Amino acid sequence: MAVLEISQLKKTYPGGELALKGVDVSVDAQEVVVLLGLSGSGKSTLLRCVNRLVEPDSGKIILDGVDITSLDKRALRKTRRSMGMIFQEFNLIDRLSVLENVLSGTLGTTSTLRGIFRAFQQEDIQRALALCERVGIIDHIRKRADQLSGGQRQRVGIARALMQHPKILLVDEPTSALDPKIGREVMDLLTEVARELKIPMLVSVHDIFLAKNYSDRIVGLQGGEKIFDRPTRSIETEELDQIYHEAG
Amino acid sequence: MTGVAITGNPLRDPKKIARKYFAIAVFAAIILYIGKVIIVDGTDWARMGSVSEVIDTMLFFVPDFSFFPATVVPLLETLLIAFWGTALAVVFSLPIAYLAARNITPFPWITYPLGRCLIILSRSTHEIIFALIYISALGLGPLPGILALASRSLGFLAKTTSEAIENVNKGPIEAMEAVGASRATIFFFGVMPQIFPIFVGNVIFQLDINIRRASILGLVGGGGIGLMFAEVMQNLQYDRAGMIVVGITTMVVLGEFISNRIRQRIV
Repeated sequence: MAVLEISQLKKTYPGGELALKGVDVSVDAQEVVVLLGLSGSGKSTLLRCVNRLVEPDSGKIILDGVDITSLDKRALRKTRRSMGMIFQEFNLIDRLSVLENVLSGTLGTTSTLRGIFRAFQQEDIQRALALCERVGIIDHIRKRADQLSGGQRQRVGIARALMQHPKILLVDEPTSALDPKIGREVMDLLTEVARELKIPMLVSVHDIFLAKNYSDRIVGLQGGEKIFDRPTRSIETEELDQIYHEAG
Repeated sequence: MTGVAITGNPLRDPKKIARKYFAIAVFAAIILYIGKVIIVDGTDWARMGSVSEVIDTMLFFVPDFSFFPATVVPLLETLLIAFWGTALAVVFSLPIAYLAARNITPFPWITYPLGRCLIILSRSTHEIIFALIYISALGLGPLPGILALASRSLGFLAKTTSEAIENVNKGPIEAMEAVGASRATIFFFGVMPQIFPIFVGNVIFQLDINIRRASILGLVGGGGIGLMFAEVMQNLQYDRAGMIVVGITTMVVLGEFISNRIRQRIV
C-alpha cells in the first residue's frame, strides 16, 4: 500500500525553467526511496512539492488518502504537521538552544502564544529529550545550535523532524554539507530510526554509493524526468554509473 | 619561456596619474574658495579682537565646580528623558519595521510604502523640530522632549530592523513552514531570534545618541539639563555653563562606555 503517491507532477519556475515534466513516484509503507540525480534534475523541487513549499503547476500528490494539491492554506498547514522534512543546510535557528530547535518540530501543533514564549508542553519536552538521546545529542541540549558540528546539527534536524510524529520523512540531500564519513553516520542513523519508527522516507541524493547502500528503491531523475524506477537490490552499481554518465 | 613584452610599470599609467592629481587640485580649489566665502568673508573679525581677547573670553567658561550639586537633578532628568524616548521608540518601531520589511509586510502595495513613509518622516525631521511641535501641543517640560526623541529614534530603529528582517536567513523559515507553523509563530520563533542581536545593538546605539540629544532639548523648552544651560547662558554665568558642559560630557562618556560593554556582551 502506497503511503505517498505522486502522479504526473509538473512544475515550471516563474523564470521559465522547467523543473518537473510530469513525474510519477510512489513510496510504500516503511520503504526508503531515493531520488537520484544531478543538481538541477528536479529532486529538491519534487520533495518541496510534496509539502508544497514549492507550488506544483499540475499533478496529484496523495498522502495517506488525502490529495495535498487540493488543500487550502489552513488544511495544508495541518497536513504539513505529519510530514517531517530534513534539509541539506539543516535550517536550524542558530541562536536558539538545541532543545528548542528540536521542540520547534511541534510548532505546527503548539498554540501561537505558547510558540512565541517558547512555553512548550511538558510531554513534548520529555519526548524531545528522548529523541535527543536517540540521535546522540543529549549532551548538547543546552548549547546554541550554531555551536555544534555539521553532523551534530543534522542530528538536531532529524530529531526535529521526528518530533512531528511524521507519516513520512522528506529528506533533501541530508549529507551534502557533511564530509563522507559523517555523512554515512547520518545516513545510518536516519535509516535506523526510520525502520524503528516504521516511517517511510523519500530521500534525494546525488551520491551513487549512498543511493545504493541506504535505499529499498531508486528513482533516477534527469532534467525533470523520471528515467528509471527499480528496487535497489536489482540494480548493479555499474548501471547507476552508466545512467549518471549519460545524465552528465 | 614565452614572455609578454611589457615596458615600464603597467600599474602606473602617467595619463591616469595626471588626471588623478588634476581632479584633486580642482577639488581642493573649490573647498578653499568655499572656505574663503563662508569663513573669511562671513566673520566679523573686528568684533573678535585680538588673540588674547579670544582666550580671555573662553576662560570665562572655566567650570565652577561648586555649582555641581545643582546640576545633578537636571542631568538625571536628561538621562530619564533619553531612556523613556528610546523605550517608546522601541515599542513603536517594531510594528513599523513589520510594515516596512518587503518580505513579510501584510499587504505589499499599501503597507510597505506606508511603513517606508513613516520611516522617512521620522528620519528626516530633526529632534528640535519634533520638540517644538510637541511643546506647542503639550506645553513645556520633559514629556514633549521624550516624544521628540521617540519620534526621531523610531525611524532609525524601524529602518534597521526592517532591513534585518529582509536579510534574515531563509532556511529556518522554510523549516518552520514545513512543520506547519503559523505566520505569527514563524515571525517570533524563526525571525526574531535572528534579528535580536542587531535590534538590541541598535537600541543601545540609539540610547547612547539620545542621551546627547536629550541634553540639548531643554534649549527649546523640552526639559532636562539643556533648560538649565539656556538659563545660565542668558544670565551670563559662563562658569556655571562650563560646569554643565563638563557634566554632560561625563554623562555621555559614561553612557558610551556602558553601552559598548552591553553591546559586546550581546552580539
